[in-house]
Formats: sequence, structure tokens, C-alpha cells
Amino acid sequence: MALGKAQFGVSTFFAASHSNDKCGANGLPLTPNSIKIVGRFQHLKTLDHHHICKYLDCVRGRHERLMIVQEHYTNNLNLGWKTGKFQSEDNLVKLAFEVLQGLYYMNQHEVTHRNLSMDNILLDTEGKVKLSNFGMYYMTNGGAYVSFPVGQMCYMCPEVICSGPVQIDEETELPVLPPSGPKVDVWSLGCIALELISGMKLWEGVSNQQIARNVLVFLKPDCDVINSICTELKCVEKLQSLSPYLNDFIRKCLTVDPTHRPDPSELVHHEMFTVHKLKQVSPRNGYHLFTSKLRCKDLELPELTENDVELDNDHLSERNMEEVYYLWRLAGGDLEGVLKKAGMIKAKPPVTILPSLTLDNGEVLGQGRDQMELLDETVVLLSQDQLRQRLSDIDEKSYYKLLEDESTITEGLPSSPSNVDLNDTASLPLVIKEKDVEYQFHRVILYERLINGYPYKKAHIWKEARVDVPPLFRNLVWAALLEVEGDIQAQYDSIDKETPIGTDRQIAVDIPRCHQYHELLASPTAHAKFKRVLKAWVVSHPEYVYWQGLDSLCAPFLALNFNNEALAYACIKAFIPKYLHKFFLKDNSPVIQEYLAVFSHLIAFHEPELSNHMEGIGFIPDLYAIPWFLTMFAHVFPLNKIVHLWDTLLLGNSSFPLYIGVAILKQFHDRLLSFGFNECILLFSDMPVIDLQQCVKDAIQIFCNTPKSATYRQHAKQTPKKNETRPNVSYYSRDYNEKPSNELSMEPLTLDELRSEKCPRISAEDLLELGEFIGNANTRSPTKKRGNGKPLLLVIDVRGPDEFKRGMIPGSVNIPFQSAFSPEGDLVTCPAVTTLKQSKSLVKVVVGSRGRNASNFANELVRLDYTRVCTLHNGIDVLRHTGILSVPPPEI
Amino acid sequence: MSQRGGAQRPNGAAQGKICQFKLVLLGESAVGKSSLVLRFVKGQFHEYQESTIGAAFLTQTVCLDDTTVKFEIWDTAGQERYHSLAPMYYRGAQAAIVVYDITNQDTFGRAKTWVKELQRQASPNIVIALAGNKADLSNKRMVEYEEAQGYAEENSLLFMETSAKTAMNVNDIFLAIAKKLPKSDSGGQSGQRPQPGVRLNEQNQASEGGCCK
Ligand SMILES: Nc1nc2c(ncn2[C@@H]2O[C@H](COP(=O)(O)OP(=O)(O)OP(=O)(O)O)[C@@H](O)[C@H]2O)c(=O)[nH]1
Ligand SMILES: [Mg+2]
Repeated sequence: MALGKAQFGVSTFFAASHSNDKCGANGLPLTPNSIKIVGRFQHLKTLDHHHICKYLDCVRGRHERLMIVQEHYTNNLNLGWKTGKFQSEDNLVKLAFEVLQGLYYMNQHEVTHRNLSMDNILLDTEGKVKLSNFGMYYMTNGGAYVSFPVGQMCYMCPEVICSGPVQIDEETELPVLPPSGPKVDVWSLGCIALELISGMKLWEGVSNQQIARNVLVFLKPDCDVINSICTELKCVEKLQSLSPYLNDFIRKCLTVDPTHRPDPSELVHHEMFTVHKLKQVSPRNGYHLFTSKLRCKDLELPELTENDVELDNDHLSERNMEEVYYLWRLAGGDLEGVLKKAGMIKAKPPVTILPSLTLDNGEVLGQGRDQMELLDETVVLLSQDQLRQRLSDIDEKSYYKLLEDESTITEGLPSSPSNVDLNDTASLPLVIKEKDVEYQFHRVILYERLINGYPYKKAHIWKEARVDVPPLFRNLVWAALLEVEGDIQAQYDSIDKETPIGTDRQIAVDIPRCHQYHELLASPTAHAKFKRVLKAWVVSHPEYVYWQGLDSLCAPFLALNFNNEALAYACIKAFIPKYLHKFFLKDNSPVIQEYLAVFSHLIAFHEPELSNHMEGIGFIPDLYAIPWFLTMFAHVFPLNKIVHLWDTLLLGNSSFPLYIGVAILKQFHDRLLSFGFNECILLFSDMPVIDLQQCVKDAIQIFCNTPKSATYRQHAKQTPKKNETRPNVSYYSRDYNEKPSNELSMEPLTLDELRSEKCPRISAEDLLELGEFIGNANTRSPTKKRGNGKPLLLVIDVRGPDEFKRGMIPGSVNIPFQSAFSPEGDLVTCPAVTTLKQSKSLVKVVVGSRGRNASNFANELVRLDYTRVCTLHNGIDVLRHTGILSVPPPEI
Repeated sequence: MSQRGGAQRPNGAAQGKICQFKLVLLGESAVGKSSLVLRFVKGQFHEYQESTIGAAFLTQTVCLDDTTVKFEIWDTAGQERYHSLAPMYYRGAQAAIVVYDITNQDTFGRAKTWVKELQRQASPNIVIALAGNKADLSNKRMVEYEEAQGYAEENSLLFMETSAKTAMNVNDIFLAIAKKLPKSDSGGQSGQRPQPGVRLNEQNQASEGGCCK
């Protein structure tokens, strides 16, 4: 929903704290209630209706404090009722109707207000009802997570007063008795209506105990509730003077027996509203990104009226409320600061909150809270001035960015009239960019349009994602990069996630150990979602099984799509075949072994010295890299780092993770070289802090310096893409295996072959392409000449001189294997060796005929710390038909 | 009975022999293998200890009379699927701790399978200890102390109930292993690193499927 004239308000309360020594059934400390509340709160953020206030944020402070941010209006019924406006039947009916619509909407989304009062019925600038604070009962799990009662006593219906405080089953987190349902709010509405009619407050100044007694009297069979409340409010005649419809409505609201009391879904159809010609405004056609329905069906374009012509200058108000709040925080918005200023968080000198006694088991006694645990419902306004100030220089055109003009894509980012060149910002470190309000403003506007244009704007999204991904839309951008499409909700719903399966125990023990420092993932709500998504994947992929680690892999998607399990599932479902094809087979050994062997080759190719050292001490990838690749690093880095890593990973092809692995080793190059086995393995047992941005940069660079066929794996996904929809915007997104193969391509190698060779093999195709040989028409590699004409590779022919003279690759040097090495293992000097030594940075392709000479020679070069050594798969023979072989020029 | 903090570290005085032993932890997932190691090595307990994928490696040194014993500890993944990785870690190990969870009978059954496998496939002199972990949860106990002790005696295993949470018997079990390990001058393994890096392509007996052979 657009911001409009809404304000942001923050309120605060404390979750009930557990006593220090209390443990759950598993002997481990209980999850703090504040975490449970944060978990439940997330659902509230999805509620969007014109008669309820939007929930925006729930932040944990110290000592179990929670700060809730909601759409807010300063006017409310408590202020408005004294005007007498609602004593008019028309206005009252309209008000009741709007309240009911809000209630009905939240009921449809499993939320019961249970806290309806005059303070919580806000009135926006046009006087329309906006229900506020309706999520307290929901987020606190019926009040179980707080030590104050939710709801005002005087509006509580008899059954609520009778039921007493909620009890929660500790294992399941479910209430022992069913929680209050929608009908309780109807009672409250009845009370409020009578108050408005009478112009008086019910039981003002009466103690809660007395109120309870008063309400319990209503339970007597012969009690006339309406009459006794009206007598109390001195409005018996007043009510009688109003329409029979209204009288009937109120009688229905104040039905003592809940089974006879209607709920909001029934009451919105009450005759009273028909008589007043009030119609429900159906919420604007919700826009869904992933659906098989026609997205533009029933699309109504707003009609411009006379008034609209004078366009409002407040462009920010047209932006989505969540987005504005996001920017508000970036612009320095500080909830705790605001609350402190308002006196809602009182800073006490620390000495006053010291416990009087601490036992040696850690239990403390006599520790004063820095504030009461009771509820103070005050809402403090969050001023938008600072944000508006920060955005004041932004040209209004930037608010309405046009995408159709493709030329702007190539131009890069727009330059802002505020003279902050966005291109400059774009090159800053990620952590800075992500905090820069103006930069994020532009990114958010652009991406919002792109995402709305998905999948048609796929190419553009890929392009922008190479610059960066704005945190606000990361989940959707990732889904777009993973090419998630179709009715994902229906797919997800069709999967049985409840029936017990054999993997349940493992999933159940893994989830509470997976990224639990992350406050969203640590909540019971998260655990339940986590379980469903994992089970959904396991159940719908019978060819695969659950391997420990799948949980870590799932965590980033769940954290980003907390309110959209279906999307989290769709993403993991698309991610696994792309990067972890066959990794979750029951017998994944050949797959992983091949992967690790290729990884070893890559290390030797780029870091021969390190490779020699690690081999020498027995520090092999099998011992440290399985958690890296099996979880795409999600098991070894914290979530805030994984997202940045995956922002790039998702743009890469299926081999890209291998390059990230090499980049990580590269970052620890010096340390690893100086370490022995134990230190090396200890280093990676607990992944040390790394500079991820550097790592990603290195990985891209390493990628670009590696012939594509070097990472050929027979177990990688083979099927070439049928109808190519993905734009070819990303040079490193293509997979070797996606190209059709021919006799010049790579072929499967056995594990033993892979392991006996230190270096990667490359295909003849790659040789031709990199060497810029114009081959026959049968090569599919586009052979474009590079501008500077500098060679990329050096071909080393290790056959005997006679064979070499009969046909050689143009430009290759001949170092016959038999005579190449001295007994000490050094290269024997000769002109060809000199050329080799001068070609440090080139890719060195060792070519032989059949037999092991070439790979042995290459192994020796690696041993001598030569970088970028590879061999030609199938040797010189594969080139016979290409017509590129020639005879060497006669030596002079 | 419970102790806090890590095991004794060698004090400054350089006396006596230094022995190095490779020790492997085996047992069903979530019985607390990683937690035991963490308690022993760092004196810490993480309630949200991450699951282990593949294996983790840590070292810790303890002093026994005049001998310094350095443990090189391989903490393996517990999920059955990772089973085929295990030989790589227990091969060449001088000691093993097989862990089960006293609140879960199935994990005890799994521990017995591990013991059998070790007796068949590991080096013949391997010192095996059985640890009944999560002893702090005795009110939810499903495996009786006597039952496990009887089993341990039959198979000449060291046996203790431990708790990584309270640190009960954690150092003790490692110390008991250290005591039982041969510390002859020649076979003291000092400086001779065990071979965790056995090439995985070596033939591998326990081999139905799995992650790494
Ligand atoms: N109450 C209690 N909980 C424990 C104890 N030891 C471990 N835990 C908990 O049990 C769970 C599993 O412990 P881990 O150490 O991860 O188990 P693991 O055997 O290494 O599991 P895998 O790595 O999956 O093989 C964690 O949540 C621990 O906090 C203990 O002695 N008492
Ligand atoms: Mg573990």
C-alpha cells in the first residue's frame, strides 16, 4: 500500500522473560519470548487492507524489549468521539462498517484483534477507519509471551473473562485451549457503539475486578445485557430513538452466548449496511508475481479527474509504505533513539539495575527491570523529515523511471542532479552502498519496475544484478535469476508436507542447529516453516535424499522469503539442479569425487605452489571442502555474508562455485603455505573471517582466466537448454555443458584418470577458440579475433621432434618429453624452454599424442610451480581433421 | 563432579615425553559429538552447535604425569549417509569415542554398530571408549546405565556417562583414554602424524554409497 498521508508510529513493550535456570525438555535454554514474537510478527507484515494499519517492523531491544512500528494516524476514536460526530446514526453505521471490514480481512488471515478499543480505531486524514494494534494478540501467541493482559477489560466479552490467561504447550507452542476467535471483537464493537451513542465511557474508573464481576452478571440467563449497559451509560431512550436496524445490530454484537453471536464475516452483510447503501470495497486487485493467472486481467487504470491534474508534489507518498520505511531507516531512523527522547525508554544508571544477589549458578536475585513489564500503549511518531530532507535533491523524474528506453541500460546508472554520481556509488564497497539512502532509493525504484516486468525484463534484471542487488528486493531478484516462474503457490500447496517420513528425525535435529544466531530463523515459527520447506523438497524429489547440509542450503532462501514459503521452496528447487546437480543422490560419491578432483585441478592451474604444498602435507579437498560445496558455502559463512556471496554466485554457471573455492584458498595463500597439516585443517574447521567482496572479485577473475572446458564434469547437468530464454548478458553464466558437443569437445573421464593428473584437460574447441585458430566450419566456437592480437596461450608440444615436424599446431613450441627434464627434475634449457619461461601469464597447453607423456609433462610443470598448465584432451590427433596443423618453418 | 573450563594444558616445564594420538568420534547425529569436543578443547558449550558436515578437526593437549599427550581429534558427521566417510577418519586412529544419547535408545543401538565396525575394520589396538552423553537429562533417560556398562564390559570398552552441557566426565573420558594408550618410547607416535589424508581412492571396505569413498 502506498504511503499516502500515513505516518509511522513506534510503540514498545517487554516480552515475558524466562527465569534464568529454566530449560526446555532438551535441557537447553528456552527460546526467548522476544524471538518467538519476532517470528510470529512476520505474518502481520503481510496484511494489507485499507481499513487496517500496516505493520512495518518489529525490533528487539535489550532485556526482551520489543519495538513495533506501524502505520499511524494521530487522530483516533478516543479523540474523535467527543465531537459527537458519531452520535449521528449515519456516521456510526459507516464507522461500524469500516471496522468490520478491517476485522473481516484480518480474520481471513488468521488474525483476531482481541484488543479493539477506541484508542485502536484510528481515523486517517479523510476520517476513514484504520484499525491499529490488532496484532498484539497474534504476535504474543494469545498473550502467552507477555506478562500483561492483552485487551481492555471493559470491552472484553464474557467468555474471554471466564477463560483466564492462555496456556501454551511448550513442545508444540500451541495453546492448550483454543485462542479467542473473531467473535470476541464483535462484542467489543457493540460496547464501543453504545459508548458512541451515549457519549459516555463504560465503567470509567471502575477496577478491573469490578468490571469482571459486572460482565459475569451478564451470564445469568435472564439478564438483559443491552438494557443494563444502556442504563449504565444512561442511553436507554437514545437507543430506542435510533433505527431498528441499528438496535438489532447492537443486540447481535452483544449476544452473550458466543455460539449465537455473529462474527465479522456475517455482520458485514447486516441489513443496516444495506439500508445505508454501504458496499464493501474489494481491495485492489492484488498483484502477484508468480502466478499462472493472467496478470493484467481486470486491471483498472485509475481515471484522472480534474483534481488529479494538479499533481501532488509529494512523490514519496506514492511509494510503497514498506519501501519508505526501509529508506527511513537508511536515512538514520533510530527507533530506540526516538523512544528514549519520548521518555518511553528511560535510561537508568546501570548501577541501579545491578542484581542484589548473584548465585554461582548464574541465577540473579533482586534485579530491577529498567521499566515495568506492563504495557504502555503510547505510540510515538517517527518523523519523516530527515528522510525527506535526504531525498529532497532527487529529481522528480527519478520517481517515475522509464524502462522502455533500452539505451539507458547501457548508459549505466542515472546521474543524479544532486551531483552525487550514482556510478561512483556503484563502485563503492557493498556495505557502504547498502547503507546509502540515495543510492538505494534509485536502486529500489528501478528494481521495483524491473521485478514487476519479470519475466519479460529478465535480461535487464541480470544486467543490473551484476552491479548489485538491493537488499529490499533480494528475494525476488534471486527468484528471477533462478528463473522461477509459474504458479508456485499452487505447486507448493499440492505437496504433502505433513505425513511423517523417515527423514523427519534428522530434519528435526538439524533445524534447531541451523543458523540459530539469526533471530528470524531461531523462532518456533521459523522452525515450522523450515521443516515444511525441507520436507516438501524431500517428498517431491524421490530420486534424491536428505543429506545433512540441505538445511543450511535452504536457510538463506527461508530467511529472505520468510513470509512466502512457496517462493523459498521454488528457489531451492531451482537452485539445486543448477549448482548441485546429483549432489543429493543417495550415492553421491562419484559426483562429489569428480567435483573435488576438478577442484584440485583448478587449484593446480591457478595456485600451483599452494597445490604442491597442500598435496605434500595431505591437506586434500576431501577433508575441508565438502561442507563448502555441498552447501554452497551456506554452512561455513554467516547469513549476512552468504547473501552477498550468492548475489554473485547466482549469476555464475554451475562451475562458478569451484572458482569461489579457489578464491578462498587464494586469500589464505600465505598462511596455508606456511602451515603444516594440523594448522591448515584447523584454519578451515572454523572458517576464518574473509574479505568476501575480494573473494568474489577474485573468483570472477579466476573464472575469466580459465578455459571453460577445464571444469568439465560428466556429472554436471548435461541437457542443453531447449528454448533459450535466458539472455546472454552474463559472460560467466553460461555452462560448458549447455553447448552441444562434437568430436572436439570434452568427454567423460574416469575418477582415476582425473586423479592421476594434476592439471585440467581442455577441449580442442577451447584450444581453437583461445588460440584464435580459424578452424574448419565444424567448430562451433565463435572465433573472434581479439583486438590487441596478443596470444592467450602457449602450446607446448611434447612429442618427439620428428613427429612434431610432420604436423604441428601453428605457434607451438616443441619440448620433447624424453629430453625435457634433467635428472634433478629441472627443465633442460633450450630455446623452447626459454619461450616457456617467458610466457608466465599465458595458458600453457601441453599437447602430446596418445599416452601419458603430456599429462606427465604437465604434472612436472606444476611441480615446478608453473601456473595455468593444462593438457589437450585426446592430444594432437583430435586436430587432424580441423585443418589447422601445419609443418614448422624450416629452421634457419 | 562437574568441571568447568578446558582440560589441563601442559605447564611451562618441559618434562617427559610428548605423545601424539589420533582420536575419532563416532555416533548418531545430534548425540553431542561436536559438543563433547568443544567442551574438551575450548571449555565451551553451544546450545545451537551446528551440525557437522563431513568432519571437523581439533586438537587438544593433556598432561599425564610426565607425559604430554596431544590429541588430534576428528569429529565426524553423524548422519547415516555420511557413513562411508568414516573409514577415512578411523583408519589409523589410535582411539575412538563412540557416543550415544542416553535419552534415545536408537542412538545406543547405533553406537553398538559403530563398535562392531571399529572392532572389525579399525587398527587392532585401537582404544575404544563409549560415552553416554546428555547425562544431565537423566529424567528423560531411555538407556540404563547398567545396560551400557554391561555392554562396555563385554566388549572391553572404557565407559562413562558424560554431559557436554555440564562438563561432567568430559575431561575424564579423554584422560582415561590417554592413560590407556601405549606410550612406549618408540611407539609414542611423537611427531609422527597419523594419516587422515589417506587418498580416498584407496580401496574402501565399507562402501555402499555415500559421500566419499
Ligand atoms: N542437554 C544436553 N544437550 C546436549 C549435550 N550435548 C549436546 N547437546 C545438544 O544436542 C544437540 C546436538 O549436539 P551436537 O554436538 O551438534 O551433536 P553431534 O553428535 O555433533 O551431531 P552431528 O554433527 O549431526 O553428527 C545440540 O543442540 C547440543 O546443544 C548434553 O550433554 N546435554
Ligand atoms: Mg557434530
